[in-house]
Amino acid sequence: MYGKGLRALSISTVAVMTAALALVFFYAPLEAEQGFLQKIFYVHVPLAIVALCGFIAGAIMAIQHLRTRDPSWDMRSYVAIHMSLIFGVGTLITGSIWAKGSWGHWWVWDEPTLVSFLIVFLLYATYQPLRFAIEDPERQARYASVFAITAGAFVPLNFIAVRLSTAYVHPRVLGSTSNLPAPMALTFVVSLIGIALLYTTLCKYELTAKHARAQLRALRRRLTGDGATAAPVRRGRSAAPSTLHPAAMMTARMTAKDGL
Amino acid sequence: MGGVLAEVPALPLHEAGKYVAGAYVVLFALVLIYVAIMAIRLGRIERELGELLELTEGTVAAGAGPPDSPTGDGEFARPGATSA
Repeated sequence: MYGKGLRALSISTVAVMTAALALVFFYAPLEAEQGFLQKIFYVHVPLAIVALCGFIAGAIMAIQHLRTRDPSWDMRSYVAIHMSLIFGVGTLITGSIWAKGSWGHWWVWDEPTLVSFLIVFLLYATYQPLRFAIEDPERQARYASVFAITAGAFVPLNFIAVRLSTAYVHPRVLGSTSNLPAPMALTFVVSLIGIALLYTTLCKYELTAKHARAQLRALRRRLTGDGATAAPVRRGRSAAPSTLHPAAMMTARMTAKDGL
Repeated sequence: MGGVLAEVPALPLHEAGKYVAGAYVVLFALVLIYVAIMAIRLGRIERELGELLELTEGTVAAGAGPPDSPTGDGEFARPGATSA
């Protein structure tokens, strides 16, 4: 189910990422002020944009979960946020490297873009502990969805607040790409597509792996005869969402009630 | 701090190179770590599949088919594939 199209997606990701790297190092001209150091722009900014969009996507999937009560949406929301956190780590590290090369400091506390991204990152860093703290899978999924929606709404608000702030020291990207020379703009767009494809591919890998594990567990129960009771197997405490479909859960409960 | 953040001259290539390389190595390392984790997971799935295969062979050798019962994980059961 989740693995459908994974091969084509993987090939596209490798192709676009390779093209992006070739454009960065062999096509895009050197920037007048920052010189070769500006090449970090083509990895740092797409990572940040994709991570923030991933958080918002997680919120949209959480809305779907609360609307439909379908645990697969909770799983998608969990994976989107999980992957965005990894991309967030990449953003913070590459940003720090750029800051060190450009400003001579690894971190600057009075720069709103840096600090706001760190706040968003730390906010989402509490997502996994929140899930882990709740043992009941249904309650865990519901609370996690509420968190994802609230935090997801915070992301664009935070972005706008930073935009409105007066300290325009951080290089502006969105809204000023028209000022970029065409080769730089093209390289940036290809890099952004490459990182977005990488994000999608890794999310699909994660979902497929979780799906395969769940299928294996179901198969094991069936083969060992534990499935005869059809009762949902109680898992150990985990931050990962339950993957039991509501219809299956109901069937399982009814079957168990009938003593089958 | 204003002085620090003011326009600074571009670093020469031999100095900027290590920062650029560092940033791209970070991206590569993140992907590599993820692939390594996926490889470990794949190994675990393969091992569990092997165990299940052994279990099936044991059941077939004993002359009994697998128990005919619902799996309880309907999301992953093919729709309409319920056994008679």
